[in-house]
Amino acid sequence: MKKSNSPSGKKRKSPKKTAKNQRRPWFWRTFFRFVIFGAVLLACWMVYLDAVVTSRFEGRRFEIPSRVYARPLELYDGAGISAGALERELALAGFRKGDGTKPGSYRRNGGRFVISTRGFAFPDGAEPRRQLALSIYRDRIENFSVLRGESSPIVRLEPAQIGGIYPAHKEDRILVQLEDVPELLTQTLLTIEDRNFYQHFGVAPLSIARAMLANIRAGRIVQGGSTLTQQLVKNFYLTREQTLLRKGNEALMSVLLEMHYDKDDILETYLNEVYLGQAGTRSINGFGLASQFFFGEPLKDLQIHQLALLVGMVKGPSYYNPRRHPERATERRNLVISEMEDAALIDSVTAARARGMPLGVSERPSYSENRYPAYIDLVRRHLARDYREEDLRSEGLRIFTTLNPAIQYAAEYSVTDTVPRLANASELEAALVVTAKDSGEVLALVGGRDPQFAGFNRALDANRLVGSLIKPFIYLAALEYPERYTLITPVQDKAFALEFNDGRRWEPKNYDGEERGPVPLHEALSRSYNLPAVRVGLDIGVGEVRDTLQKFGVSSDIPEYPSMLLGAVSMSPVTVAQMYQGLATSGFNTPLRTIREVTDAQNAPLSRYNLAVDQVADPAAVHLVQYAMQETMREGTGRSAYYNVPEELALAGKTGTTDDGRDSWFAGFSGDLLAVAWVGRDDNGATSLTGASGALPVWSRFMAQVPQHGFAPVMPDGVGYHWVNGQRQALTNEYCDNARRMPFIAGSEPTQEVSCSGVLQKRIKGWFEGLFQ
Amino acid sequence: MNMRNGLWVPVAAAMLVMAGCATAPGESIYVPVGGQPTDAPEPPRTDVGTNTDSAPVWRKSEQPEPEVSAPVESAPQSSSPSYRDAGEQLSPAALSLVREADALLAQGNVPAAIGRLERAQRISPRSAAVYFKLSQAYVVSDQLGTAEQFALKGLSVAGSDLRMQRAGWLLLADIRRARGNVAGADQAEERASAL
Repeated sequence: MKKSNSPSGKKRKSPKKTAKNQRRPWFWRTFFRFVIFGAVLLACWMVYLDAVVTSRFEGRRFEIPSRVYARPLELYDGAGISAGALERELALAGFRKGDGTKPGSYRRNGGRFVISTRGFAFPDGAEPRRQLALSIYRDRIENFSVLRGESSPIVRLEPAQIGGIYPAHKEDRILVQLEDVPELLTQTLLTIEDRNFYQHFGVAPLSIARAMLANIRAGRIVQGGSTLTQQLVKNFYLTREQTLLRKGNEALMSVLLEMHYDKDDILETYLNEVYLGQAGTRSINGFGLASQFFFGEPLKDLQIHQLALLVGMVKGPSYYNPRRHPERATERRNLVISEMEDAALIDSVTAARARGMPLGVSERPSYSENRYPAYIDLVRRHLARDYREEDLRSEGLRIFTTLNPAIQYAAEYSVTDTVPRLANASELEAALVVTAKDSGEVLALVGGRDPQFAGFNRALDANRLVGSLIKPFIYLAALEYPERYTLITPVQDKAFALEFNDGRRWEPKNYDGEERGPVPLHEALSRSYNLPAVRVGLDIGVGEVRDTLQKFGVSSDIPEYPSMLLGAVSMSPVTVAQMYQGLATSGFNTPLRTIREVTDAQNAPLSRYNLAVDQVADPAAVHLVQYAMQETMREGTGRSAYYNVPEELALAGKTGTTDDGRDSWFAGFSGDLLAVAWVGRDDNGATSLTGASGALPVWSRFMAQVPQHGFAPVMPDGVGYHWVNGQRQALTNEYCDNARRMPFIAGSEPTQEVSCSGVLQKRIKGWFEGLFQ
Repeated sequence: MNMRNGLWVPVAAAMLVMAGCATAPGESIYVPVGGQPTDAPEPPRTDVGTNTDSAPVWRKSEQPEPEVSAPVESAPQSSSPSYRDAGEQLSPAALSLVREADALLAQGNVPAAIGRLERAQRISPRSAAVYFKLSQAYVVSDQLGTAEQFALKGLSVAGSDLRMQRAGWLLLADIRRARGNVAGADQAEERASAL
């Protein structure tokens, strides 16, 4: 301590001398210290780099996004689809118009199609490649046959990819294995990018020297001396900045990588890692996805000129982007083809032919990731029940949904085409949900007037009062007591006031303010009169109506106030669709589904979401409600649907309107489809719309665009149809005035009979009607 | 499972017989769109009855037989609410899937069989046979509650098809008995024998 307290004076006195005397040992000591220190530091750094290299390489090398598929189109005799819809479907699944011979192409001649499928590995087995022929007549498939490939009366097309769930860094890729990559591609790649790949140890000093020489001679960078390994390391671990330190790291890591892994492993990783393009925020990595992205074809099906283009693009994916800069891309491609020829990979005739080919790039990327934002939103919420977000983003899961692109197209069109024509359209928003009536599969979902906008999803999140949509459930609860209520039971359309214990009064009114006195129950429902609905609901009991709603799948809070009987309950369009599913079938609750199956990247099943049904109501009572809901369409509040829909399409449905037109609803179904439309303002403001003037036009325009079966429910056990005179509450004769054929639960039909005079004459007259005019 | 196997044979056999005859009257009306809604009115349909070979020959003096099947209610032009007495038959495409499902069930591959049957259900959603088959598949996988629901669903679309109804009620009786619901089973059996 003492010494060190006063050395400064000493040192100042003879610095030169001391330095001179001690220079050599001091210098060497320090030098060795530095060298040792440097060596240790380098060793540590190498250990660190080694850990970085191996951990990334050993562990999950790639985060693979999950792929979301539409439902595959099933082709068979009798399948309902229009020629236009089939063509759109084919385009969406990446088929090209051509000769119909090459896999992934089709030929159309009027209503006649020849389609060559690529085959697809479905979770329940593979669909092999086939060539199919079919015709479409009156929106149905006829003369379906398999021209080539395994014969089958029914074939599934490969499903369209409709979205993906991407890793945080937004890299997208389709993993390929080296043995599945065309050999010509790898040979071309090595010829262009790294001829000595199988000889060098990660870096190629000779190549670097050669490149430097060339660059100096040219005065600019014309050659890169990087090996494939270095390129991989650069992409894989490092930032894009060009510094000497980074170059050093790159070289070290390349050597380390080569020490740990064999050449094929590195090459395969390179093929999957290389950056080849950009689609919005999503980056296109690897040759597997690039092939799909630029040509809409799997890698194994690419032709020579297409392979050459992809290899050429490695040098500068955006500079040589064939969609944006076709001339540059062609020039680069042809250079690669010449190199292939020089390296004797192809003969000169093949090369010349390949140089003469057009680029062959598909017009637009095989799919756009944001095509169906509302639908994908619902899929993600369903997935969130069973999967962790990070697994969805990285494990390469395959998610098979129930989206029907043809139905979705019609749904979007009906919203975008109808909403702007409504009164005060600029303030209006809309939602539309379409499900398959008997399976509960959600086929289409529109979350707003701009279906491409990935924002507030009204189909799921707009919880709005449902108004008269509640009425079928009130009458259903009543009709389950056939001794008290039938379709012709007179119900009072007459004002009344309810007084609560706290002194408040409630005086419900009809929409038109009128009162009609006694009306038959079916008319009260089909014309949507408020006063009879409240009276019947109070008679049956608010609690019972609430139970009915809960049985039909409403899980949200349902208030027990009488105002609930006029629809003072908030629901989203999807919830309404769930609730109406049971009405559309004969009282069977069918949980709504968007996902059929999830598999891992290797096609091993992870989850299946099976069809389920649960009988929650008496089919006979439901049948009577269905009768009145059909009457709604023919004679009641829904009849304007037939401005759009063909007369022969039998439909059933119900309008819903809330105070001041804040919500305009329509829910209804055909033989195949159930659809719920909502129109209103996001700020819950008043509109001049009713259910019939806002949501119904959207709904009926949708129904008019889709070929389908009419609604014709099977008469359940214990229901009989009778000719009745509603006013007189009596059975009557078909040819009497006021006769109506209506369903009754056995034993509840009227016992009294009324006749009318001249029945026989009327019947005979009926037979001759029109004959002598 | 064992005690139920004996009863399966007649039920399954009956269902296959019924599945054999495809396309029948009572199919609900298919309404094509045809592209333009403003198209000229279509020519009147000569009913799409494919089985013309079995069309009866009417003679002028003929009297109706005592048991004619009920006429198809509500012609397409009618604007009154429609319904049907008869359920729909499996389409040939759906039938081929049901046959594949049968083969898969025989191999013990229930999930794949259910997959095929769900495809068949999407093609022929108004055919009772496909629901009874689903019910059968769930019996094999010992999910009797689900099986019972599918049997009920099948019965709800069986309509006036007596053989189909009978198959459905017997199936339901089997399932209910296996679930310990003896009264329900007896009742279902009664319904079957009353047909």
